[in-house]
Amino acid sequence: MWRLISYRVLQAAPVVLIVSILAFFLINLLPGDPAVVIAGDQATPEAIAAVRHNLGLDRPLIEQLGIWFWHLLQGNFGASLMLNQSVLSAMVERLPVTLSLTMLSLLITLPIGVLAGAVAAYYRRTWIDSAIMSLALLGVSAPAFWIAILSIIVFSVGLRWFPTGGYAPFLSDPLLWLRSLVLPAAMLSLFQIGFLARMTRSSMLDVLSQDYVRTARAKGLGEWRTVGKHAFRNALILIVTAIGILLSTAIGGSVVIEQVFALPGVGRLVVQGILARDYPLVQGVMLIYGFAFVLINLAVDLIYTLADPRVRYD
Amino acid sequence: MATLGRREFTKGALAIGALAWLPAGARSAEADPKKGGVLAYATVSGPGGLDPHVSSSAVELEVIHNLFEPLVSLDNQNATKPMLAASVAVSDDSKTYTFQLRHGVKFHNGAEMTAADVQASIERYGLVSPNKGNLADVDRYETPDPYTFVIHLKEPNVVLLDVMKAPIFPFMILPASQKDKPSRGIDVIGTGPFKLDEWVKDSHLVIKRFDDYTPDLGSPGRDGYAGRKTVYLDAVNYRFMPEATTRIAALQTDEAQLAGSIPFELRDQIESRPELAIRQVFPLGGTYVIVNSQYGLTANRAIRQAIGTAIDIGEISEAVGGINKPNPWMSYPNTPYYPGADTPAPWYDGKSADKAKALLQKAGYNNEKLIIETNSNYQWMRSTMLVVAEQLKAAGMNVDVRIVDWTTNASHMQQGSGEWNLSTTLFGPEHILGPQQWRPLIYAFSNIKGNDALDADYKAFFAEPDLNKRRDIWVKIQQEVLGGGYMIKIADTGRLSGYAKKLKGQSDYAGILQLWDIWLA
Repeated sequence: MWRLISYRVLQAAPVVLIVSILAFFLINLLPGDPAVVIAGDQATPEAIAAVRHNLGLDRPLIEQLGIWFWHLLQGNFGASLMLNQSVLSAMVERLPVTLSLTMLSLLITLPIGVLAGAVAAYYRRTWIDSAIMSLALLGVSAPAFWIAILSIIVFSVGLRWFPTGGYAPFLSDPLLWLRSLVLPAAMLSLFQIGFLARMTRSSMLDVLSQDYVRTARAKGLGEWRTVGKHAFRNALILIVTAIGILLSTAIGGSVVIEQVFALPGVGRLVVQGILARDYPLVQGVMLIYGFAFVLINLAVDLIYTLADPRVRYD
Repeated sequence: MATLGRREFTKGALAIGALAWLPAGARSAEADPKKGGVLAYATVSGPGGLDPHVSSSAVELEVIHNLFEPLVSLDNQNATKPMLAASVAVSDDSKTYTFQLRHGVKFHNGAEMTAADVQASIERYGLVSPNKGNLADVDRYETPDPYTFVIHLKEPNVVLLDVMKAPIFPFMILPASQKDKPSRGIDVIGTGPFKLDEWVKDSHLVIKRFDDYTPDLGSPGRDGYAGRKTVYLDAVNYRFMPEATTRIAALQTDEAQLAGSIPFELRDQIESRPELAIRQVFPLGGTYVIVNSQYGLTANRAIRQAIGTAIDIGEISEAVGGINKPNPWMSYPNTPYYPGADTPAPWYDGKSADKAKALLQKAGYNNEKLIIETNSNYQWMRSTMLVVAEQLKAAGMNVDVRIVDWTTNASHMQQGSGEWNLSTTLFGPEHILGPQQWRPLIYAFSNIKGNDALDADYKAFFAEPDLNKRRDIWVKIQQEVLGGGYMIKIADTGRLSGYAKKLKGQSDYAGILQLWDIWLA
């Protein structure tokens, strides 16, 4: 197992290297100039040139890439141009927000999505199946931006159940932390529940038509045991894969949710970084995200072995 | 030698008439200010930094102007008024400026402000500020005693105080210990009525009342950016909320009592509530079509002038919505350099497709492509340029509209790069501060090169001590810039903010947000 983990982490190195080079060139290929953003909308060309020089942006691109890699080797992700702080500390400051949001969203998604998918599969081609799948389709299709604004109008302004936006750290006020995250996490979950329910239904339908399920029923095993233990366990591989994908989409989806709910997370940081052409920030975040996605995939692979003992990597 | 004291400034006759929309004194009739309370202000985004010497961003300046103070500032009538200075004396040759400082002014760290701090601040400004070119003529500084600061210039400069009172790249005074701090690397210590308390990037920023603040007791009350400032609020919490709907929701639930940048089409959501109200901030700036005078078709002066003839300001204002008032000039009415409503401006609001067509034909236009660049970030800019495109199509032009993001759009305009003929932007304080503030922007945005007439007019402007004559020169400059089709003025524009009616005492002065002299009832 440990050999596998070490091997996969080592395998990640070239992936992360390619991601970092791509990140560097993609952000630098974008038209626009961070010096313009820093110097201000009405700065003169001289002022912009002075800012460019101070930031080292007037050096050749290859030289900038070399300097970035050299700093990376020393564990230095560079300094954000717009925040005037290190990229790593900017990310570390915002990571708890995004992690809280995505984890809470997964906590909401997993039971509801899996249960809805399993129930829809069990009652396939009935009104229950149709109702669940229609709702799932709605969840997958509704634009996150629109549904998030609607939720603020209904639950924050109308019912006053939740704050309209903002974030309270867990350590300062756990209850307020929960209140500030429930609505955004629920909105982030809508897409994910729909996706997971559809995946679970599909996987369960496949398993429920297998011979061993028919055999289990024929030998008089109860429906709960047949479906809950035998069928569900075998459907898990696809569900675990779906959860891996969900985690990745949750991080992506958090960009919109953080923007609407004014949550100071990494997603919002990246949007601001891209708009401000904050090269070091976007490069650094993409690098770290790239590594995180590699780790998520590794975790999914390891969970396969728990879900299905036939899967072995040694 | 002329002296600028608390009440008047005679040198250069910069005292001007009251702005029509500004009640003098600006303190509203709401009685009994109440001390205490925390104001939550829902704003679009947070500052990147709080270094006044390098800041021209409105988001940053909204905080900075409450934390720091300059030697001289803009008063309620946009004239020059001493702030940390008690008085300013200008030598007859306009080469020596002597600032007498107010005594007993404290920094947020408890130290008293002296001439050494002033000199260090101005020297730092000369090193780090993108606006440092305005100090190029400085020969030396002098501090004969702790409360006197002298600037000796190599050349006469009649508008140095106008430059020093500007609210963008403001000449704020920092403790001398900050002199060698790099750009955006200062400790946030000023003399302003608020001091920085907490700042969580992307989330919120809190400033609290500076209890040792030394108000300008020589003034009867607040006065633009200057005057006697009284702080009633315990603190102000800037909450960064990028979405307008979220800001309005915060206002509706009393999570915020003030919300900035309310889109015009959403104002009903605020006005329909009895406890909330809308405030118009006007004029915020002037909107312009920028013409790239170095690229393709628009390098031809006659083509540029033909384009201007086709523009219908009314149609644009209607499409954009919001608060727009026609004004052909690059100065607001009732500011020192405004030429007057009767001065002819034949280039403005031509709204004649037929006349434009004839002028284009005369200029040799042969269906070449005209590229309009706008952006996806600002709806008013996009709407403006889409209407302009239709107006030019009606005049027979072959128009290609390209939409990029604002950063790209701004970079192209400010650096003259990219492939574009027309774009649009908004200019702000230049309309108050005058030609000296306009100069770098005029040249940069329209990409003006080799215009001897314009160069000569500006040279004459800086050498002319008489304001009336300078105003005449400014008219000539505008005739060249606007009449020559380098820029097309659209309108003076404002913006809306929403507030809870329990927030009292807001000033009618259309400057950057000021949090003194307001209170929560």
